[in-house]
Amino acid sequence: MLELLAYDFMQRSLLAAALVGAVCSVIGVFVVLRGLAFAGAGTAHAAFAGVTLAYLIGLPPLSLAIVFGLATVWITGWVEEKGRMKLDVSIGILYTATMALAILFLGLMKTYNPEVYGYLFGSVLSVTTEELMTIGGLSVVVLGTILLLSKELYFIAFDQEMAAASGVPARQIFYLLLTLVALTVVIALKTVGAILVFAMILIPASTAYQLTHSLTQMTLYSMLIGVFCAVSGVLLSYAFDLPSGPSIVLLATSLFFLAVCCSPKRLHRIQRA
Amino acid sequence: MTHPIIRFDHATFGFPGIVALEDITLTIPESEFVGVIGPNGSGKTTLCRAVLGLMAPLRGTLRVLDCACEELRCHHRALIGYLPQKGMIDRNFPVTVLEAVMMGRYGALGLFRRPTQKDRDIARQALTQVGMDHHRDSALGALSGGQQQRVFIARALAQQPRILLLDEPTTGLDLTAQHNVVELIQQLHRDLKLTILMITHDINMIRSRVDRLVLLKTKLFAAGPPQEVLKPDILSQVYGKELVITDKDFVIVEDYHHH
Repeated sequence: MLELLAYDFMQRSLLAAALVGAVCSVIGVFVVLRGLAFAGAGTAHAAFAGVTLAYLIGLPPLSLAIVFGLATVWITGWVEEKGRMKLDVSIGILYTATMALAILFLGLMKTYNPEVYGYLFGSVLSVTTEELMTIGGLSVVVLGTILLLSKELYFIAFDQEMAAASGVPARQIFYLLLTLVALTVVIALKTVGAILVFAMILIPASTAYQLTHSLTQMTLYSMLIGVFCAVSGVLLSYAFDLPSGPSIVLLATSLFFLAVCCSPKRLHRIQRA
Repeated sequence: MTHPIIRFDHATFGFPGIVALEDITLTIPESEFVGVIGPNGSGKTTLCRAVLGLMAPLRGTLRVLDCACEELRCHHRALIGYLPQKGMIDRNFPVTVLEAVMMGRYGALGLFRRPTQKDRDIARQALTQVGMDHHRDSALGALSGGQQQRVFIARALAQQPRILLLDEPTTGLDLTAQHNVVELIQQLHRDLKLTILMITHDINMIRSRVDRLVLLKTKLFAAGPPQEVLKPDILSQVYGKELVITDKDFVIVEDYHHH
C-alpha cells in the first residue's frame, strides 16, 4: 500500500480527501446541532447548478458554485429568520429549483462534458494541483474562522435566542455559519460530488454525537472520523477499483451504524430503563 | 426610591397586525424582585423579549440600563441574565454542565477572545451558588428537570448580570423542584441584590417572596405589593370569575373552592 504514496496523483488525492474530511466534519457539528441538515443538502445542489452554468458560459466552475451556494444559504437563512414559511418547505423549493437549473444548463451544452459529471459524482483521484491549492486555501479560511468564533458558533447552535439575549451577535454569527456551510460544500464538491457532499458534513458529526456529551469532544471525534473515512475511502477505492465518493460515504455510514449500536448514551439510557 | 433600571413609558409592543402589550407604563428600580403574572397570551413573554432588546416598541419608550431598548448593544445584553421557557431549550444537546454555564461568559467576553481561568472560576462560582458544582462534568441531558433549571440559572449568573429575567422557571417541574427553584431565586435576590423579573403562573408560590406583582392582560391591570394586586375584583377582570381568594390568602379556581 505504501508504494501508492509515491504517485503524485495519490498524494494530491489523499491530501484533498483529508482536508475535505476535516472541514466537512467540523462544520458538520454545527450543522447537526443547529438543525441545518436539509439546508446543506440544498446548498450542494445549488452549487452544482453554479458549476454547470460556469461550464456553459466558460467561467471557472468553483466561482459560480460559490455564488449559487451562498445565494441559496442566505435565502434559506432569511426565510427562517422571517418565519415566512417552514424551513423544510423553502429549502425543498430551492433544492429542486436549483437542480432543475442544473439539468437545464446540462441540456443546453452541445456536447457531453465528463468534467461536469465529476462534480456531480466526485472524482478525488483526478484533483489537480490548482484545485488542491483552492481546497487548501478555502479549508484554512473555514477552519480558521471556526477556531476564532467557536464559542459563538456553539452558543447559537445551542440556542440562538439565548445567545442573542446574552450579548452574542447571534444573527451575524448565524449568517456566518451559513456562509461557511456554502464554502465547505464548494471545497468538497470535486472530491465527493454534489450528490454525496452533504453526507460528509452530516455523517461524521452524527456519529460523534452518538459517542459523547461534550461539545469539545464531539468536534474532535467528528474531525477524526471525517479524516479517517475520507482517507480510508480513497485508499479503498483505489485498491478495489471503486468510485471514490461512494467509498468514502459508505465507510462513514458503516461507522455511523456501529456508533449507534455501541453508543454510550444509548446504552446508558437502556441501563436506566 | 433607588435608581430605575427598567422604565416603560406608554410602551406598546407587537407584531404586524397584533398588539401583544399595549400602553405599558412601569418603573422597576434596581434590586427589586418583581413577579409578572397573567393568563396565557397576556404578553408576559413579550415583556421579557422587550427588556432583552429583542423587540422595539411600536409606540412609547422602554429604557433598560439607561438605554433605549431598541439601541441595546451586546455589552448591555451581557448584563441581563435570561432563563427562557423550559420547552425552548434542547435538553439533549451534547454539552456538559460546565460547558453550558461557560456560555454565560461569551457575551461579556466578546468576539475572538478565548475564555480564561478567570471565566472558568466565575462559571464554577455560579455553579456553587446554585448548588450544582459537583455536577460540572455531567451531561446536561442526564440531569433532572429541576437540576437543569439550576444549571440555566447558573448560566445566567455567570454573566454577572444586573438584571435576571426568568420566564416561567418552574414550569414542568415537580412540586419539590418548583419549591427549591423558587427558594434559590429568592436567596440569589437576597444575596446578590439582583433586579429580578420572574414570569410565572404560580401566584401562590411567589406571592410571599416578591416585592411587587405585575398583572398583565395585554394592558397593565395592576402593579404593586402582592396584597394590593391579589384582590378578587382585580383578578376577575383578568382571569374571569373563576378565581377567588381563600381565607388563607390562596388564589384558587372557584369550582374547587365550592367543592
